Amino acid sequence: MHRVAIVSQSGSKYSKDSGKGIFDLACEPCARILNSENLDKANLGAVLFSSCTTEQYSSTILSELLGIRPQISHRIDNLCNSGTNAVVSGYSLIASGLCDTVLVVGAEKARSEGNKLGWDITRGSFMLPVHWAALFAKAHMRKYGTSEEEMAMVSVKNRGNASSNPDALFRNPVTLDEVMASRKIADPLKLLDCSAACDGASAVLLASEEKAKELTDEPVWIQGIGQYTSSASFANATADLCSIEAAKVAAQAAYKMSKTEPSQIDVAEVHDAFTILEILAYEDLGFTKKGTGGKFVKQDNIAINARGGIIGRGHPVGATGVAQVVEIADQLAGSAGDAQVKGCKKGLVHNLAAAGSSATVIVMGSE
Amino acid sequence: MNQDFFTSLRKGEFRIPICVSCGAIAWPPSANCPKCLSPTQLKKSASTGTLLEFSRSHVTGKDGVFGLVKMGDIRVIGSFDSGSLAEGMKVKMTQCGLLDDGTAYYRFVPTST
Repeated sequence: MHRVAIVSQSGSKYSKDSGKGIFDLACEPCARILNSENLDKANLGAVLFSSCTTEQYSSTILSELLGIRPQISHRIDNLCNSGTNAVVSGYSLIASGLCDTVLVVGAEKARSEGNKLGWDITRGSFMLPVHWAALFAKAHMRKYGTSEEEMAMVSVKNRGNASSNPDALFRNPVTLDEVMASRKIADPLKLLDCSAACDGASAVLLASEEKAKELTDEPVWIQGIGQYTSSASFANATADLCSIEAAKVAAQAAYKMSKTEPSQIDVAEVHDAFTILEILAYEDLGFTKKGTGGKFVKQDNIAINARGGIIGRGHPVGATGVAQVVEIADQLAGSAGDAQVKGCKKGLVHNLAAAGSSATVIVMGSE
Repeated sequence: MNQDFFTSLRKGEFRIPICVSCGAIAWPPSANCPKCLSPTQLKKSASTGTLLEFSRSHVTGKDGVFGLVKMGDIRVIGSFDSGSLAEGMKVKMTQCGLLDDGTAYYRFVPTST
């Protein structure tokens, strides 16, 4: 297999309503990537579009709007982990030798009809994501004594990190008291325990090792990938409500492929669509022992969701996984601005969909 | 999706698809068995189960107590009238159906009440 690098990455400013259509949104982060003087833009190998938009033929439309005539172009939709699925597909096209460059673009409108999963009849009339998230939270509290305050601290941390991110949906930090006093949504989760859907886009350019040398002096390498789909329904996603089975399997595969131990990770973007999910992620990724995720929130060995995560940065569903990869690539390339973690060499992305019924974990490195 | 399941649910009957060949349960409902891909047919399911976890929703229009119930080899989220619940409690499905918008509902009560 050929090595695969991220040679350029960019994100857009997130908002509740940008006033832009899906294609205008999608083109936005591509400008900085495609204007590189060494890049033969018109002849990129592939354009992969990650979105839950109901717009048909969308990746092909996007290719034309960007002035690209790619060999391969298609849309990838897997709800909240569409973005990392698209990155994995791009990786595969290059690793196999089929393409030497792949542009992966994620974009979403906050009110896209495609953001919703209507199929899962096992959820009865409690179809919203916050309903299954509340059951995860209740189970972790009951079994391990995790407190509402510990979950709230995830929001305090990530909203605090987002306050210095000019692209974040939420720029105002929140206090523990504010999270705890926010409106109840589904016990024990409150409004500020939840992320918000928004408009946004992100893009990365992947390249073969040979091509990467032409395009950048600071490539970021995709070192390991793990993915697992346990089901599509909540009912069959995970037997134990205190962990996400798909994430555990995906993490083990990504660590094995990259020959990495959890203790080697310096920076991570984890799927904090709800505060409880970040706590489960700490455990499922092996950052801390089972049951201790609540206490792990205050650690400072690993920079987790340093630019705000999904809770602070916002959740444009189809773009989120690409945005997570952008954040880690920025860190490893030393271009994360105010949020830069000094000396970081290894990063991880953890991206879930639909009650954790499927998961992607990607390990990236500067070498 | 197994349309027979919805037809049955619309009548207030909870019957789940069982494989005609290997006997496996197809849940979420499907016209084909997820193990051997043979056709399925509906059979009446046990109406009792165990409450695994529960919470209260405050979402307008989706409010009320809800919980994850294990009935035999399937799991489903249902609603409860009572807030005096406990995990591990035995419960019974008393009502099910489809709302006007096509959303399914399953109602449970503790078996001790």
